[in-house]
Formats: sequence, structure tokens, C-alpha cells
Amino acid sequence: MWTTVLVSGIALGSFYTLVALGFALIFGVTHTFNLAYGELLVLAGYVAYWLWKTYGISLLFTFPAAIVVTLAVCLILQRLFSRLREPMEMNSLVVSFGLAILLQNGMLFLFSGDYRMIRVPFLNEGFRFHGLYLSYGQFTLLALSLLVIALTYLLMRHTYLGKGLRATIQDKESAALAGINVSGMGILAFAIGAILIGLAGPLFGCIHYLYPTAGLQATLIAITITIFAGVGRIRSLILGGWILGLAESCAVVVLGASWRELVSALMLITLLALRPYGILGKEEQ
Amino acid sequence: MIKGQPTSEPVQKPPIGQFALLPGLAMLLVLPLVAGGSDYILQVFTHALLLATLALAWNILAVSGSISLGHAAFFGVGAYTSGLLSLELGVSSWLTIPTAGLSAVAIAVLMWLFCHRLRGAYFALATLAFVEIPRVITDNWDGLTRGSRGLVGLPGLPGLRLGAHHFDISASPTGSYYFVLGYGLLLLAMVTLIFRSNLGLALQAIREEETAASTLGIQVQKYRLMALLLSALFSGITGACYAHLVRYIEPGMVYGIHFSAIPLIFAICGGRFTIIGPALAALVLYPLDQFLFHPLLPAGHEFLYGAVIILTILFLPSGFWGQLRKGHLVSIKTGSIE
Repeated sequence: MWTTVLVSGIALGSFYTLVALGFALIFGVTHTFNLAYGELLVLAGYVAYWLWKTYGISLLFTFPAAIVVTLAVCLILQRLFSRLREPMEMNSLVVSFGLAILLQNGMLFLFSGDYRMIRVPFLNEGFRFHGLYLSYGQFTLLALSLLVIALTYLLMRHTYLGKGLRATIQDKESAALAGINVSGMGILAFAIGAILIGLAGPLFGCIHYLYPTAGLQATLIAITITIFAGVGRIRSLILGGWILGLAESCAVVVLGASWRELVSALMLITLLALRPYGILGKEEQ
Repeated sequence: MIKGQPTSEPVQKPPIGQFALLPGLAMLLVLPLVAGGSDYILQVFTHALLLATLALAWNILAVSGSISLGHAAFFGVGAYTSGLLSLELGVSSWLTIPTAGLSAVAIAVLMWLFCHRLRGAYFALATLAFVEIPRVITDNWDGLTRGSRGLVGLPGLPGLRLGAHHFDISASPTGSYYFVLGYGLLLLAMVTLIFRSNLGLALQAIREEETAASTLGIQVQKYRLMALLLSALFSGITGACYAHLVRYIEPGMVYGIHFSAIPLIFAICGGRFTIIGPALAALVLYPLDQFLFHPLLPAGHEFLYGAVIILTILFLPSGFWGQLRKGHLVSIKTGSIE
């Protein structure tokens, strides 16, 4: 039984890393908290659900549509954030909280409050691999998440663009002095974040019920993993995602499915109690 | 201590005096006579008043600079404490409502243990996550709380016996309205006292410049804790009143993000650095939502609140009442949410 827990935990955790990746990138580059992050994820899920349900479009082809929608919303959000004054973290938190309420009500209007899920029968079947049972759903989740994370890692580590992003994350002023277009990097971070959300949203719709207020859980998960890992550390993000995924799988088996939602909240509170100066350390406060 | 006037700006008379509010108060007092025929109008304003008390309670903590995204924890625990005590043990609501306030204080102590070292955005995030603890426990502890089925058939607001006369407050919308109005005015008086006392001045000093405040000998953590406990006490009482007013509660409702967001929206829109601004915003925005946006857009009418909060932060950072009362009780940091 515990191998099942291990497999589902790692698959879920890899997906959580994918969810946190965009949040960490946006936060690292622009120092803004995006509380509407989960709502964007759910919105992308709804777009995929709507295309799949009404037009019978295969899940694979819903990703581009979801990306287009999240890109549009994220670039609007970037314009909003660029008008804010210091302190950025607090102001962006409150404004994106407002945006989250806007998006929740927009989705309630467009898609109603019913619980929806993208059901692809093929994903529920499974195969045995060296005695280890894996469903195609888990396999897809694991493979797609790790593929996207690896691509992001390559982008950040081995391209000139990634170098600019990493420099901006480390020190805005020095990066600007070195001739990097810092505000352009901010827009780029939002754009990459939007693409990552657009990829994660339809997957979210396959493993989790979609309803207008489902985003809060995803936001908490993204923030928890980001605070665990710090910014600009993709490998720590993976570790954080796996720990959270395994902890949730264990909680489901030991306590029951309804206790799962407590895990990320408790982990976030504990992390904050241990690291009261948050992600960036004392000097940023 | 920093009091009243900002140091950087010349002293100016606020464009609007506090007495401008008196006609509004008079209208609230006679509303049941004017709207006598319509129970719906009275119910909407009863709710608006109740949400105004939640915003006032929230602002006790916010005046110290700590924005909470987790007041639904206090609201929900208050609602469940009062609901369970009156439903299971048949205790009078006169007793269960204050007890609910105390239970919210107990939860606030727990929150303080986790969050006391946090400031700004990280405090807000921790409170947001904290709500999940009482919500998931209430949802799962079927034996005590009846889980996700919620509490049905709660008794109404308490009655009043004066000699031979018995006023059953819950029997008519008018009774409930005046009960909530009375609680609101009482809370407004309490909040005014708190803001004008040494505690209030200390909290404002902490908000403006925490290091300077502690250098002047203000015990920062003691005052922040007091603000949190007072804020939780009244939020819990408001939650209990809500339970007896609506007579049905379930975990997803009273611990939902709605009751964490509502006081934040009203306080920021009305003016976080003012005493009455949050309550005014509640009395304007909630009826606007119910009378105008709800009929137009039954699903998704609360987009109004999201739009209001974004527009206020961008264009009117000190809030409506704060803007009108500029020059009085305005922060030296006006324009920033911290």
C-alpha cells in the first residue's frame, strides 16, 4: 500500500512543483504576491473543460487555448501591478485578492457553481512497471510536469534570457546597472508564469473538481512551496513539491480525504513561524 | 507618539465634518417606520449593519498595521459556539453570544502563537492559511459539529423580558433590525473609545513606524496582541449574531473566504485610518450590491467587491471617508497599505 502512496505522492508533488514554478518566478522577479494565482489556474481548467465538453476537443489541444486566456489575464495583471506603490508585497496582495474575487464571480457567471471535472477514461487505466502499479493519469501528470520543469530549468540556466531573469531575481539594481531591462523582465516573468499556468490548469481539471472558489487551495500550495524553496531555486521547488505531495497522500491514507486540505495550510503556517522574514530574508523587510 | 496631523503637510480643516453623519444616523433609526411595508429592505439593512460591525471589529487590528485575511476563523468559531450551545444545551442566546466572543478570543490566542513574529504580507498569508484549521476540524468532527450538514433550525436572536412585557426580538424583522443596530452603535462607541485611548494611539504609532514606537517605550507585541484579541472578540460576537439571524450555518459558509474578504473590502474602501469609514462602506456597498447588482446579475454579482477593492487601492488609497476627512486622523504614510 505504501508504494501506492509513494507513487501518487510523487506524481502529485511534481504537479504541485509545476503549479509553484510560475508563482515563484513572478514573485522572484517582480516581488509581487499574486493571490489570484489559483483562480487563474482554475480559469485555465475551465477553458479546457469547456472546449473538451462542448466541442469534444482532445485534452492535448486545449493547452494552447488555455495559455492564450491566461496570457491575456496575466498581462492585464502585470499592468495593474506596475501602477502600485511601495510596499509592493502588501499592495499586490490586496489588489490580487480583489482580482481573485472578480475572477471567482466571473467564473460563477460563465460556468455556474457546479462541480466539474475533465474525465478522460484512458487516464484511469493503468499498467504495471516492475511490480509497481501506475495509472496513465499519474504517469501523464508525472511526465508532463517533469518535462515542463526541465524545460524551464534549461531556459533559466542555459539561455541568455534566463540569465537576465536570474540576475533580476538576485538584485534588481545591479541587474539594471548591468544593462538588463528590469521592467521588461517583469513582463517576461508574467508571460512565462501565464504559460506555466496554462499548462497546469487543464491538468488540474483532470485531477481535481473545478468550481469557482477552488483556486484558494492552489494558491496556498504555490505559496507554501515557494516559501519552502526560496526564489530562483528550481531543485528546491521540486523537493518542496514532493514533500507536500507525499504529506498529502499520507494524510489521505491515514486520516481520510477530507483532511487533505489542512496539510498545505499547516505547512505554510509552520514555515512562516520558522522563517518570519519570509522568502527574501531580513534585509528586504 | 504620533497623533493626528501628518508632519509633512500643513494643517488643514477636513472638507467634511463628523456631524454630516447625523442625518444618516437619524435615517437608520427611523428606517423600520419608513420601510414598514417591506421586510426585504429591513433584512438587507440588518445584514448591512451586521457586516458593518464585522468591518469595525476587523479595523481594530488593522489600525495597528496588520492586515488580516483570516477573520472568518473568528466569525465561524463564534457562530458555531453560539449555535451549538443553544441547540445542544438550550442555553439562552444572551449567554451564548458573549461565550462565542470568548471562544473567538481563544482561537485568536492560538493564531497569535503562530503569527506573532510576522508582519505585513506574511502576516496576511499566515492568517489566510490559519482559517483552514478550524474549518477542516469543524467539517470533520461529525460527533460534535454535525460536520458538513451544518446546524439547522437555530433559535433566533434573544428575547427581552421587562416586567410583564416580553419583546421577542426574532419574531419580527423590526426587532432583529434594532437589535443589530443597537449592537452596531455599542461597538462603534467601543471602537471610538479604543482609538482615542492610549491603546489606540500606541497602535497607530506602531503602524506608522514600529521601530520608533518601540524606542519610545511602547510595548509593541503587547499592544498588537491586545488589538488582535479585541478584534477577535467582536468578530466572534458578530458571527454568533449572524448564526441566530440566519438560523442556519455550515462550515463552508461561515469559514468561507467571503467573511474574511468582506471586512477587508469595506475597511479599505471606507478608509482604514478612520473610525467609522469601514461601517459607512458596509452600509453603502452591501445595499448597493443587494438592490442593484443582485437583480441584474444573480450569479457573480459580488464582482462589485473585487472591482471596488482594486479601484480604491489604485485611485483612492486612503478610502472614501479618509479622503473626505483628510487632515484629520490621516496616516503620514497615506497612500500605502501596510
